[in-house]
Amino acid sequence: MPRQRLLPLTAATMSALLCLLTFGAPVTAQEQASASPPPAGRVTVYTSVTQDTVDAVRAALAAVAPELEVEVFRAPTGELDARIASELRTGGVGADVLWLTDPLSMERYQEDGLLAPLTPAVSAAVPGAYQGQTFVGTRLLNLVFVAGADVVDAPGSWADLAEAQGVVIPDPGFAGSAFAALGYLGTTDDYGMGYFSSLKDHGAVVVSSPVDVVNGVAEGIYQVGVTLDQIGRSTMEKGAPVQLIWPEPGAIALYSPAAVLADSEDEEAAAAFLEFLVSADGQAAIAATGWQPVRDDVPWPYAGPVVTADWDELYGRQAELLAGFDAIFGD
Amino acid sequence: MATPRPGSRRRLGRPLAIACLVAAAVVLVGTPLAVLLRTALEEGPATLLESSVAAGPAVLATVWTSLAAAALAVGLGAAIAVITERTDVAGRGGLRLAMLLALIMPGYVAALGWLSAYGPGGLVDDLFGLEVSALVGPLGIVLVMAAEAAPIAFLIVVAGLRTRAEPDLERAARASGASARETLTTVTLPLLRPVLVGAGAIAFVLSATSFGVPAVLGIPAGFTTMTTRIYRDLAFSADPASFGEAVGLAVVLAVGAALIIALGDWLLGRGASDRSGAFGGPTGSMGPGPGPITPGAGHGRGHSALLTGAAWTVVVIIVVLPLTGLLATALARAPGLDPAPANWTLDNFRAAADGRTLQALAHSLVLAGAAAVGVISLAVLAVTVRRGRGAGVVGGLLGLTFALPGSTLAVAVLLTYGASLRDTLLIILIAYLAKFWALGYRPVAAGLDGIPPDAYRAARVSGAGAWTTIRTVVLPLVRPMMVAGGLIVFMFGLHEVTMSSLLYGPGSATLAVVVLNLQQLGDHGATAALALVLTALVALAGLPLLRRGNGAGGAGWRLW
Repeated sequence: MPRQRLLPLTAATMSALLCLLTFGAPVTAQEQASASPPPAGRVTVYTSVTQDTVDAVRAALAAVAPELEVEVFRAPTGELDARIASELRTGGVGADVLWLTDPLSMERYQEDGLLAPLTPAVSAAVPGAYQGQTFVGTRLLNLVFVAGADVVDAPGSWADLAEAQGVVIPDPGFAGSAFAALGYLGTTDDYGMGYFSSLKDHGAVVVSSPVDVVNGVAEGIYQVGVTLDQIGRSTMEKGAPVQLIWPEPGAIALYSPAAVLADSEDEEAAAAFLEFLVSADGQAAIAATGWQPVRDDVPWPYAGPVVTADWDELYGRQAELLAGFDAIFGD
Repeated sequence: MATPRPGSRRRLGRPLAIACLVAAAVVLVGTPLAVLLRTALEEGPATLLESSVAAGPAVLATVWTSLAAAALAVGLGAAIAVITERTDVAGRGGLRLAMLLALIMPGYVAALGWLSAYGPGGLVDDLFGLEVSALVGPLGIVLVMAAEAAPIAFLIVVAGLRTRAEPDLERAARASGASARETLTTVTLPLLRPVLVGAGAIAFVLSATSFGVPAVLGIPAGFTTMTTRIYRDLAFSADPASFGEAVGLAVVLAVGAALIIALGDWLLGRGASDRSGAFGGPTGSMGPGPGPITPGAGHGRGHSALLTGAAWTVVVIIVVLPLTGLLATALARAPGLDPAPANWTLDNFRAAADGRTLQALAHSLVLAGAAAVGVISLAVLAVTVRRGRGAGVVGGLLGLTFALPGSTLAVAVLLTYGASLRDTLLIILIAYLAKFWALGYRPVAAGLDGIPPDAYRAARVSGAGAWTTIRTVVLPLVRPMMVAGGLIVFMFGLHEVTMSSLLYGPGSATLAVVVLNLQQLGDHGATAALALVLTALVALAGLPLLRRGNGAGGAGWRLW
């Protein structure tokens, strides 16, 4: 059903786009936003983004668009995708906007024709590397190293890590963010799946989530681990005996994508929500909760060099990569 | 088996009860399972077969860890139950309360509690330099799952001791010169057999569908069970093949667990004799328990001290230390700090007291209460209708949805009722009823099996109608089991998070969902704090009962 509805919708959007290109080409996103009245309506957001980030964005949005009512269903990635899968089979997804943690499932929803095309304002706000045809990055999650505060010779690069002792990594089968490391390292010529064999040979251990990595390192069970920068930093700031290491040649970055559903009942309001997410205000709200904004013109004090996996290339290879990982780390 | 049949003078009650049951079975079990199976088959029967075969090692891992955990749980639970109900052990009220407290810890939290108590960098490590490194891996999974199921086995056996075991028989055995141990092995335990089987079945399925324990303790050891595998598939459910595999494996798990239970029922039930002749006559088990019958005042003081020591050791190991570990985690400002007041904070408890939690607490109380009442009503209906026969079909059918992992059962409920009931409290209640039905049914059924058919016959012969007999003879006798079953369901409903986190909507969030959502991707501190807040709530509710019981003629703590 979504596929059938997509056709006229695409046509409508295309003609709208054409109109815009013809008559309004020089209008930038900013000017357009200030020219039109504040958006109103009702948006339901399905998200796996942390609650404090969602809350911060809602609060900032309420200040500029009080008439835009936002309902949120938040669940961990697995539960969220399972709910979407169930709803798809029983009359359609109940959300207007999806705001997820990693691009993989978005790629799938895009391929199945569930997502509406991006509006030009959204598309223009974000670097091209951090968007697909129908979804846009909202924040960057950086996979970095966390080491015990008293560890002196902690590895400084991804290459060093493969030879290090007492390493802990998050399970790529559980967390989409952890899959980014498998995706990047496993498919890049410099590393390949042999990288994980080396980790295993040196005694590396897999735990379920990036949070467990930080906890295990803090408690001194492991020397060094792979985790998300925001989690490592917030735990360190609470006083845990850990240090954060930005690895060479860069943190493995993945972007947390958002998209409007093609059969949204209030597509205008949904698009307005997406526009706010990538606006300077929305990005500042996201940055305030510790996540790196996807726009480089929004200040963020912790930025370092990043490397990224080619998500288009990874899409469709999850099962193969996970099977390879299990062959190395399974019992 | 001599089965009392109500005469031909059948009232409207029985067909009505059967109709209610059939409707409930269709709504709660049949339809969701059929929908799940259809969804799995849409990916092709070959895919389902293939993934089941590929899941072989995970299936094996689930079966043996769950069987071991169930055996251990029933052994521990029954031993402590016999000690608190049949000996003059010191501090029995405390023992009972401690077991009750352990019941409130969800598996994930229990695993964290064990890790923070016994793992590297844990409480015992900090204090004594001792750590149990085997805690991560299959051994730890068995231990923690057993510790998690033991309180349920305990509750069921305690209720069973009050419903089934006839203290008059025990007293008779003792008076005739049997030793305490002989009385236990030749009178008490044989009478308890159906109760032990029921408790074992519940412990087995709880362990087989436990996700939190293997997720925390299995993954670091590369040890995969069915539930962690299914969750992995579910995490990639944007891919229809992955989604199909997840629901397919869940159906395989449910059917497999139900088969194992049916087999166990059959094997263990074969030797059960009809008690009508040997143990006829109404029982004296109404009212307070018989009090201590084992080591009397005359002999075995040392024996009693030994029992007291053993029982308290077990309770300290499986309840007190993990709870203390949790407290340390909940109080810690950050992970990895020494357990010292300078490093303590109440921030994690503040998160549990967020403004949003009040409404959610109300939802949780309503849902847990409704689930408990609903489950017990259905269980009583089921056992009264099939009075006198083995657990059989009803038990097996109920086991089916109970044996589905929570995430998959929630998917089934959403697939079946989502179109009309999405985001309502009702859809969450349906999931709770489907999941917890067996939890309430098993104890009630086990209790009912213990009622001497003669009691029923006597009532009927004296002119009581079928309904009057049920109301005046059957229900009073199974009341302890009803209360125990209802209590278990209520506790599970209160801390349920897997199904609710998939099914809630704006205005129907439950307490655990709200609090865990507030966490940073599963922050341990606040999760521990939530578990402790729930534990404290239960303790507060339990304490007055404890005190009242102790006042009542030394009969001990009377929750029912």
